[in-house]
Amino acid sequence: MSTWLHRLNPSIKMLVTFVFIFALAFYFDPWTPLFVFIAVLVVQLLFSRINWKRWALLMLPFSLGAVGYFWTTYVFGTSDDRLETALSLSFRVFAFSSLSLLFVLTTSPMQFIMSVMQQLKLSPKLAYSLLVGYQFLPVLKDEFIQIRQVQQLRKPQVQKSTLAKLRALPSVAIPLLAGAVRKAEKTAFAMEARGFTGTRDRTYFHEVRLERFDLYFSVVLIVIFTSCLVVGATL
Amino acid sequence: MAMRLHVKSVMYVSKWIEFHNVTFHYPDEDTPVLSDMSLTLSEGEKWLIKGPSGCGKSTLFFLLNGLYPEACDGEVDGTRLLFGKPYDEYRPGEISQSIATVFQDPDSQFCMPTVEEELAFTLENRSIPREEMDLQITRILEETGLTQFRTRVIQTLSGGEKQRVATACALLMNPKIVLLDEPLAHLDPLTAREYVAWFSDLQVKNGWTVLVIDHQDAIWESFFDYTLVLEETSMPPLKAKSAYAKEVKSQQDFRAEVRVPGILHEAKLEVTGGSITVLAGPNGAGKSTLLKALAGLIPKADREQSDETIGYVPQSPEFLFITPSVRQEVSFGGGLRTEEFLTKLLLEGVANSNPFAVSQGQKRRTAIAAMLNDGRPVLLLDEPTAGQDAFALHELEDALFQVAAEGTAVVVVTHDMNFAERIADSMLLLKDGVLSGPFHPANVFSDPSLLRTYRLVQPTGGARDVDVASSLESVH
Repeated sequence: MSTWLHRLNPSIKMLVTFVFIFALAFYFDPWTPLFVFIAVLVVQLLFSRINWKRWALLMLPFSLGAVGYFWTTYVFGTSDDRLETALSLSFRVFAFSSLSLLFVLTTSPMQFIMSVMQQLKLSPKLAYSLLVGYQFLPVLKDEFIQIRQVQQLRKPQVQKSTLAKLRALPSVAIPLLAGAVRKAEKTAFAMEARGFTGTRDRTYFHEVRLERFDLYFSVVLIVIFTSCLVVGATL
Repeated sequence: MAMRLHVKSVMYVSKWIEFHNVTFHYPDEDTPVLSDMSLTLSEGEKWLIKGPSGCGKSTLFFLLNGLYPEACDGEVDGTRLLFGKPYDEYRPGEISQSIATVFQDPDSQFCMPTVEEELAFTLENRSIPREEMDLQITRILEETGLTQFRTRVIQTLSGGEKQRVATACALLMNPKIVLLDEPLAHLDPLTAREYVAWFSDLQVKNGWTVLVIDHQDAIWESFFDYTLVLEETSMPPLKAKSAYAKEVKSQQDFRAEVRVPGILHEAKLEVTGGSITVLAGPNGAGKSTLLKALAGLIPKADREQSDETIGYVPQSPEFLFITPSVRQEVSFGGGLRTEEFLTKLLLEGVANSNPFAVSQGQKRRTAIAAMLNDGRPVLLLDEPTAGQDAFALHELEDALFQVAAEGTAVVVVTHDMNFAERIADSMLLLKDGVLSGPFHPANVFSDPSLLRTYRLVQPTGGARDVDVASSLESVH
């Protein structure tokens, strides 16, 4: 049972997290988002095998944001209930970010796009563009590093300051983008030459199905998160 | 499926493709790329397509496989028939089931992470049921001898392996006609030969009609039945190397010792100023790494060298460009001989153009001129010959002799042994991160065991590797 979150159909998982992020937007007390945050932690502990170190690292910027919200609202606020508002704001940040990470850390991008194409009927033209773009990312990163290196070779003065690096960005971006456009065109031709038309009339090697499990497990998640909302509303 | 039946029902037509007076315009261009072209291709014919860059070879391929004119809004006149039926009467995606295309760049023709998924992409496009996919993938992998790569991540394959996978992906469609667009451009000489042997074997078994664009036709030996030359070019007479050598001004030798942990064992080299050294070796030997390390682009490399201001021209010369014109590019480093180098490297005509908008050969010469104008005593070039037509190679050769005549020590990485033989004063060979040499080029090319170890071939495709030769002979 420890990998149920990973097994859950990505489209369903996305819908569940979206619905609760949306619902949370209507709660202004500090406790409901706190309950949801705790529920996310419990659900992740029970049903996933995520790398907690990575999770903590990804949560770090959000936590800083949460502290920032708390500080500005509490210190600069004037109303009597400013402590409650401050807590509410910072717990919201925690709840939203942890819900998003719950989805991100348990879903492979490939599976996700395949599922959105098959369950939510995203057009294959768009879906495959996303997939190819995803494959390009590491290549673009390598090229970015390489371009910056060879351009530094041409400039005798050493540019160590961040400002100088930022100023050099356009001259790095132009070759990078020119190359990317050309590569994208080549890939598009190669895909078309292999019979890709972008129509929905196609079969799938990675069939992402909706199973009974998805229904049961999503009901479990919905019950857990809804009870947080209900308890929060009655407080 | 209805459409496949249809293809079968017209199989008796012996003329598979007919082009009558085909003219093609790109949008917004006055002069046609192809004009009044007629061509008839029949079953099992093997064609070599030649011509300088920009003469319309790739355009012809796109017209043949039906991607043009739709993909570029170009304008096409004349009659184009595939199996006796006009091209525009086929449904989208239908033509690509009988005409397979393999492209030059092994890196930009894949859209999936693994070999298996990439093969499946072709099947998905043909709406093959999921249950059949595994069988078909197994079949094509066995047929092409690629079974061991089934679950490999494509990015981790070598250039030669990628090109075979790309071919296998195209063959999954059971095509009648196969188009190869410079499939050997990025392969080392022996890998290129092995690809040719592998492909001719498959061609005999399947009886495809084949069209190949290639600048290195010697590697294909007697594979082709016909050669189609799209545009004749007259080449300027080349000065003998000795004509440049006299002009040598100042000479400065370059010595270096480099080591890159995990990739390159200790590499010691010494290059005489004013001479050209060719660095050769198989794909993945570490040639590019050695050049980058020498240029100081690899932070973790240990290096000790007689000079630190190294000129380096990467495989994509446009990575170097910072300014909006070729002239500014050459003068960027503050050198005073801009006009002289523009003339010497035949760049006066494009001096005011944007460096991104000129031809690949001109881009590379712009980069070389910029490096020279900076007064860098060493110039390293990474694969300047890949995908270059005879004319561009000619100009590159001239440029390199000009560079050497300046007293610069030049190191060139190339897979093109004909080119290597023409320019090299000495050769360095690299394999598995171990550098040997310098060798005299004549000694390298006359030593079969050396050639075999470093996966090289004799220039002009003279001597054959024993294994490759035997399988080639069984083909013809």
